[in-house]
Amino acid sequence: MAETDKKSFMTQGIKTQKFVGQEEKTENIRPLPGTEDKDEAVIGKKVSRFSLRGSGVRVTAHTDKVKPDTGVFGYTGKRNRIFMLMSLPAIIWYLGFFYLPMFGIFFAFKRFTPKPGEFLIKNLFVNSPWVGLENFNFLLRSSDIPGIIWNTLFYNFFFIILGIGIPVFLAIFLTEIHSVRFKGFIQTVMVLPYFLSWVIVGYLVYAFLATNEGQVNHLLRMFGMEGIQWYQSPGYWRFILIVTELWKSAGYAMIIYLCAVTAIDRSLYEGAVLDGATFLQRVRYITLPHLRPTICTIFILRIGTILNSDFGLFYQVPLDSGSLQSVTQTLDVYVYKALMQQANFSFSAAASFLQSIVGFVLLMVTNRIIKAIDSDSSLF
Amino acid sequence: MNEGLFQKIAGGFFVVIIPVVFLLLSGCGQKENHDGVIKLRVVTYQGGDIPLDIKEVMEAANAVSREKIGVTVDLEFQTTEKINLMMASGEYYDMVFTSSWVNNFDKNASAGLYYDITDLVKKETPKLYEYVDPYWTCAGVNGRIYGVPLLKDMGAEEMFRLNADYFEGKKGMLIPERMKLEDIEPFLEAYKRDHPDKFPLDMTKSGPAGYLNFLERIVNPIIVLPFGEGQEGDDVVPFYECEELVNRFRLFHKWYQAGYIHPDAATIDSTVADKSIPVRFGVAWKGYQGFSNPEEWGFNVKTSIYDGPYLSRSSEQGAMFGICAACDEEHAAACLKYIELISTDRKFRDILAYGIEGKHFEYLDNGTVLRSSTGRDRYNLMLYQTGPSASASVESVSRTFLSDPDQWKGVFEEYETEGIQSAINGFAYDRTGKEDIIAALLAIYSDYGAELRTGTSDPDVVLPEIKRRMEAAGMNELLQDIRSQLSEWNSRKEQTTEKGKSDGGN
Repeated sequence: MAETDKKSFMTQGIKTQKFVGQEEKTENIRPLPGTEDKDEAVIGKKVSRFSLRGSGVRVTAHTDKVKPDTGVFGYTGKRNRIFMLMSLPAIIWYLGFFYLPMFGIFFAFKRFTPKPGEFLIKNLFVNSPWVGLENFNFLLRSSDIPGIIWNTLFYNFFFIILGIGIPVFLAIFLTEIHSVRFKGFIQTVMVLPYFLSWVIVGYLVYAFLATNEGQVNHLLRMFGMEGIQWYQSPGYWRFILIVTELWKSAGYAMIIYLCAVTAIDRSLYEGAVLDGATFLQRVRYITLPHLRPTICTIFILRIGTILNSDFGLFYQVPLDSGSLQSVTQTLDVYVYKALMQQANFSFSAAASFLQSIVGFVLLMVTNRIIKAIDSDSSLF
Repeated sequence: MNEGLFQKIAGGFFVVIIPVVFLLLSGCGQKENHDGVIKLRVVTYQGGDIPLDIKEVMEAANAVSREKIGVTVDLEFQTTEKINLMMASGEYYDMVFTSSWVNNFDKNASAGLYYDITDLVKKETPKLYEYVDPYWTCAGVNGRIYGVPLLKDMGAEEMFRLNADYFEGKKGMLIPERMKLEDIEPFLEAYKRDHPDKFPLDMTKSGPAGYLNFLERIVNPIIVLPFGEGQEGDDVVPFYECEELVNRFRLFHKWYQAGYIHPDAATIDSTVADKSIPVRFGVAWKGYQGFSNPEEWGFNVKTSIYDGPYLSRSSEQGAMFGICAACDEEHAAACLKYIELISTDRKFRDILAYGIEGKHFEYLDNGTVLRSSTGRDRYNLMLYQTGPSASASVESVSRTFLSDPDQWKGVFEEYETEGIQSAINGFAYDRTGKEDIIAALLAIYSDYGAELRTGTSDPDVVLPEIKRRMEAAGMNELLQDIRSQLSEWNSRKEQTTEKGKSDGGN
């Protein structure tokens, strides 16, 4: 192939690639009702944009400045080398702490019988016999497993739906607050609970719900009602746990959506206001469509951990109260309780392996479904 | 940026990081051996905080042990979870704290994690063998010895600790030296009548101290063999079928309903801060003064024993040292010599137990030990964490409140005369292959345990439920396995006693 041909071929290749994530803004933004004839004013000049997937950040650049490039990393080559370097620590982190230890999966299929003083690898592969699926037995031993899995799924369902809905709602309303100081204050107050450990939250909740000295029972008695033994009454705890989780995490989750909302081109809103769009219309036709990829990404990621649960929430907050176990026992709590006194690596590995497999399958399926509906919003 | 620099930086990262990761994974422990002095890594149980002056004290102790037996010790404190992890991952150590309640001895010894010291201990350290005798039985698995019991309160005596100023002084009630568990009721009732808003019986989620000690616990605390006073101890049963235990649960529940126990007891971790509680539980031994210091409590405390002394495998295994199976003979012998030194050399033992003389403690005229305030703040360990309690000097709580310096002699005599022995002390259950059932049963137990032992739930309601769930999780299979191992052990024992008899006859 002639040198010039090759160059032009590569250049084309680059152009094609660069334009994959690019689209004209008109595609994504429907004309506001009653404003069809003013489209040009809304759109402004043509620009291209690409998004850093999942981050909610959109970078806008003029396409005519893209130059051909043939570096070692293919089309991303030289231009992105500095970005590659920046990601190197993360790549090493993942290799060292996530990919390298993956041999640990073998724990799930072996009866781990280490000889003290020998290398882990030798202890695992030479000194420990294969036992097939025997390590999974302890999960099936308990007749409560269906209930435990039901609990895990139940809470995660609410956490996913409300854990996305409420932060999005908060983010949209926070952007509507114009006083910078007030906005900063609200934001700080909402994020703060995220940094409390579950142990502390557990005692905060206890301060409210203690039978004798708790605030809630004080209040009930003030109105002449009987105090409730909260830690012995499972009926209330599904609600309490969901509220506690949202109180703790919603502010932090909101930041991601706040970034995404802030990154939306303000001129779109200005245009919409000029066109007479109401607040709800602006949310409906500008904000939500722009948030869709972010929401989808987070949704898919949360689906991937559907069998996992926050141990602190389900173990520390109910103070490990036995009467509440029917509503607080999730898979992680069960594994902890069963293995706390045993320190059995093989059983724990089997339980985690099961969680990962279910999570992986669900993640792939969800991603496929979302891809089928809207290919731009899928994770990969 | 040019390509060369980029590759250098990237290459540099991998050159540094990858070996670090491998080092982390492989672990890089090394045994040191300088000038003929053997350095041992000893891991012991960390109950509370690690004492601030541990380094200084260990330097002083090592100077002595280096001179006397050519051994120094690097003493580490680890929590239960850390020790379990260390044992499960095959990490190297020389000697580790092991017992029936932290770092399960029977489980680890059956799994071959400890050094078989049966012959070595007689050969290398005959004085130690003699010192521990006749308590080696509890360290035996299948007739071989795998650990060194640390002599302390080998039999458990369970008692109430009562506010004597209130009950005897104010109410004119008599606190007897011994009582039955249910005899405490009038005391609780009297206090509750005077203080309707208070809860007279101290209770946390871990339940009353020592209420299970009349049981030999094969799988703690779900499979038991009662051997205490008036118990027919010949068969293992699930805890929910042990009548005496169920009666105790009923009693606790009655007290809970009467308002003697805090309504949230099942979720409370600690009540140490509340000094006003007039009735507490305690496990100790004859002559122990630690509960009775009026300066600490603000009132005079009198104890009243309700159970014991009971000598079971569990109670005798209260504190032991196990030597790592991977040790060479030289290190194993060094470990034994070190234990021999702490068991037989009182001065040396007191360094580990109380710290440095003059700084952390002083000797009183009657031969007992008084901790200084520095000692209480900066080196305050429980005796069994560093060796046999019985080989250390006895502690007095104040200059005026003196203990008997020969306390332990009386304690061991009492065990021999009054102690009730469990008949299956030499039996260790090998749980290999049944761990999945045990894990499932323990998980079920933890759903109810705290509420049963604090009296929060009604045993007549929850025990049938526990029974149903535990049987579904394989309780009967586990029981059968234990019974067959036990009868095998029994027949082997009979054979050896018969053999011994016939040998003696010849």
